[in-house]
Amino acid sequence: MPVPDLFCAMMKEEWRMHSTIFGSLGFALFPAVIAVFALLGSLTLPLFADVLPYDAVALFAHALFLLMGVMVGSFGLMGREFMNRRFGQASLVAYASRSLPVSERRIFAAFLVKDTVYYILLYVLPFAAGFAAATPFIGLDPGLAVLAFVSLALAFLLGLSAVCFLSTLYARSVALLAGTAAGLAVLALAAFRLGAITVSAVLPPYAFFLDPAVEPLAISLLLILVPAAASVLFVTVDYPDRTKRFKNSLDPLAERVRTLGSAHFIAKDALDLLRSEGGAGKVIFSFLFPLGLVWVCLRVLIRFIPGIDPLVVFSALLGVISATIYNWLTEFDSFTSYAFLPVEVSEVIDAKLKSYALANLLPLGVLVLAAATSGGAGTFIPALAAFASVSAYTLAVTVYLTGLHPNVMLYHAWVFLRYLLAISPALLLLIFASILDPLYAFGSLLLILPAALLLSRGRTRWQAWEMPGY
Amino acid sequence: MGVRQMIEADSLTKEYGNVTAVNRVSFTVTEGELFGLLGPNGSGKTTMIRMLTGQIPPTSGSARVMGLDAAKDPIGVRGLVGIIPEQETPPSFLTAEEYLRFVARIRSLDDVDERCDRWFDLLEFGDKRNVLCKDLSRGTRQKLMFSQAFLHEPELALIDEPLINLDPIMQRTVKDFLREYVQGGGTVFFSTHILEIAEEICDRIGVIHNGRLLHAGQLEDLIGSGRHLESFFLDLVRGDAGA
Repeated sequence: MPVPDLFCAMMKEEWRMHSTIFGSLGFALFPAVIAVFALLGSLTLPLFADVLPYDAVALFAHALFLLMGVMVGSFGLMGREFMNRRFGQASLVAYASRSLPVSERRIFAAFLVKDTVYYILLYVLPFAAGFAAATPFIGLDPGLAVLAFVSLALAFLLGLSAVCFLSTLYARSVALLAGTAAGLAVLALAAFRLGAITVSAVLPPYAFFLDPAVEPLAISLLLILVPAAASVLFVTVDYPDRTKRFKNSLDPLAERVRTLGSAHFIAKDALDLLRSEGGAGKVIFSFLFPLGLVWVCLRVLIRFIPGIDPLVVFSALLGVISATIYNWLTEFDSFTSYAFLPVEVSEVIDAKLKSYALANLLPLGVLVLAAATSGGAGTFIPALAAFASVSAYTLAVTVYLTGLHPNVMLYHAWVFLRYLLAISPALLLLIFASILDPLYAFGSLLLILPAALLLSRGRTRWQAWEMPGY
Repeated sequence: MGVRQMIEADSLTKEYGNVTAVNRVSFTVTEGELFGLLGPNGSGKTTMIRMLTGQIPPTSGSARVMGLDAAKDPIGVRGLVGIIPEQETPPSFLTAEEYLRFVARIRSLDDVDERCDRWFDLLEFGDKRNVLCKDLSRGTRQKLMFSQAFLHEPELALIDEPLINLDPIMQRTVKDFLREYVQGGGTVFFSTHILEIAEEICDRIGVIHNGRLLHAGQLEDLIGSGRHLESFFLDLVRGDAGA
């Protein structure tokens, strides 16, 4: 079977997988929502130009698309179990190398091309189109949108190919992955010591956007193509036999959290995270990676906005990012696993909320560390309030809109639009208010009330929802 | 004392858009009966079980299971009965033993060790108790799903394709268990498209096709009249398809 045929089959499959759940229109409008938001966001750029320079916005956008590439790559490569939990007993072409007369290398190559085309059409193109539509009104050259499309696509592919490469290493040998990660860390540390780490060095597509020269383009392509080619060349589905045996850990773990109630559900959540591919590391990585990007971006912003309190802004963004832990908690679980047991959806949601509260000790630790190392101890209390409120509010919006299926439902155009509309204004208001005075961050505590209301309604709303089967 | 009705389906109907998966089906299953719902693939068997156990609400009609309305009190029904769904597999990242313990906690059971050991012994998969469910073979997963359904010793079990993925030896064990269970006062409602299973163990059968119940009656009467279940089933289904 030639790669183009495989590619077409995978494209149809990806489309049908999403459109089965949302309906064709619901999913087809998803890029339109991105385009509208990019348009509206771009139109507001001149209003905030003094506080938020274009270069800083561009940096945020590139960091965001790099992160999307990482997320798409992680999702696609985490294996059959991952898909089954999310979509029921899904059987995808990507997992068919053992039943079809097609090599796994060819399937994986088609899979990479499919992800590249599909998600560039889904995310990057509409974003660039929205920006392009705004350029005549904000005094920018429309050609800049074409440049943005290319550089943002490069940023997305950089994240995608890096994750593909790391996953191939992991499939070959955990030690190989650990060694490579350690080597990269040493290199990064050495470069940092030598002062060689700049934003452009870390994110060549962004450098290409700032200066569309051959050098950053070549570096970007090299960093995309070499890992992608290596991951195709060395791909394997003959994973080492990692059938592990575990003594009963459910009861001891449940005993530790017995006072919280729902103890066995919480223990199961913990075991799901710890024992699934990548262990706790995948959660920590997916959490710390965007935080690192936020931190780098904030360091840039400080130069432009002298009055900004980085800790408060960081804590608000930390609250949004920490809500993604809920996505992980629901990733390996599906209510169909409980549908034949005497369990209500609300009971599972309650348990997830408790697991979430426990998992939030991680971002809390990050906040304490950030306060201690950045000299921001003076604004720690308002920062803590902002973090807790935004985290609770974002979680509540996620639960209300997506129930136990955030990783699926957020691809529904209408749901995604409501998610953005619910979170963006509150977040932007909080950030701008805290720029005026960090103490205004206490105002974020007002978010606790709608958060409680949304959680209460979300628990009952998802009781009767039936996920379309495959 | 009157006969206790364990399942009472009254004009049960389930529609998905323009498709009628189950169409005005009525029947009863009495205590101590082993009732087999037979039908070709896609005939509405799984939808029927899902409605009877309150997993999905009917579009119209009603189902009472052990005296409870399945649509109004699904948790009550699922607390009483044991269910083995056809498609669902146990959670990937719990071991077989952890999964049984997890179910035992959900059902607030005591003597969890003894209950687990009993099923590991009966279905002969104690050597897999510490293996993650995702690493179990399909047959072992089916054994595990079987175990979870009977862990609380329910009075009624609803099973979607009970012998799927099991080897012939284990099929024998399960069939023997189901007969013993029914002789001990338990009730079983199961769906299958494998007629030999029904012919061997059922007291009563129902035949469903295109969502409609074409027949419900004692298997004994059928065999007594000199007919084979296979020819009876094929005549019914083909006749309905041609109608």
